[in-house]
Amino acid sequence: MKILQVYKSEPTEDVKKLVEILNRDRNADEFRLYIGEPNYDTLVQKIFANDKTVCWW
Amino acid sequence: MESLKVYILIANRVYNDGIRSGLGLAVENHYAFPVIMNGEFPRFSNYMSENIAWIADMEGKVFSCGAEAPTDLPEGTEIANISLEELGERMREADFIIPYGLPKQSHEPPAACSE
Amino acid sequence: MAADPNKLGIFVTSPQHMRHILGIAKAAVRAGKKVMVFFTFKSIHLTKSPLFYELAQLCAVEDIAICADSYICEGFDNVNDVPRGLIDKQMRTQAFHGAILDECAKYIVM
Repeated sequence: MKILQVYKSEPTEDVKKLVEILNRDRNADEFRLYIGEPNYDTLVQKIFANDKTVCWW
Repeated sequence: MESLKVYILIANRVYNDGIRSGLGLAVENHYAFPVIMNGEFPRFSNYMSENIAWIADMEGKVFSCGAEAPTDLPEGTEIANISLEELGERMREADFIIPYGLPKQSHEPPAACSE
Repeated sequence: MAADPNKLGIFVTSPQHMRHILGIAKAAVRAGKKVMVFFTFKSIHLTKSPLFYELAQLCAVEDIAICADSYICEGFDNVNDVPRGLIDKQMRTQAFHGAILDECAKYIVM
């Protein structure tokens, strides 16, 4: 299972804990939309390269 | 069509509409699990209570994570307590995880919208 | 119907990320993918952004819709004030979100 975690804002402690559990024993990647000017081509590439995407607040 | 397990995380008091959205998926034969985070409960109008009961009828469930669920809900309306760890473990089996709407506000709402 | 491996579903629930939504949709189209989008609850306010019209042009008519109930609940007229870029049959119910889950192999919440 390959999972992508996307963040629209700085993750809270609750989000970090949930991500830690979701990523356990999985091939995990992440993308931070709130930093600088996001490269949407890279994001789309990652979405299609992973089995599942979770996009946090 | 395959029935999917969908968790809808509600972190902001304004976005309890995620429960209605869950019901929308339940009637499409998916399993909907709206989760109210940290006590951001809705006003329990008849409409809201009926939606929560209907989700349960469709084999889904509404959870409360981070605060005790109210115990004085109308008959047939149930919100189950779940810890953050349990929620994470359950969501490992989810087909979709939907952090709904906006994140939690850092301040209490003003009187104009607090009731 | 099996999910289309080249189709990205975008479920919009927040009223504040139009730039990201359009950026992702444009990048998906550049990559040869199809995009299917549903706006619900307070995100329907994004239909009033000029960027929304641009987004609507990227999607097939059957692949972009908004929740009509949400639009009405927010005070808009779903008959006389259909958002620019949409036609009346794109004012839909939550079932459209169900269709996204069924039809799109990839999915993101905005």
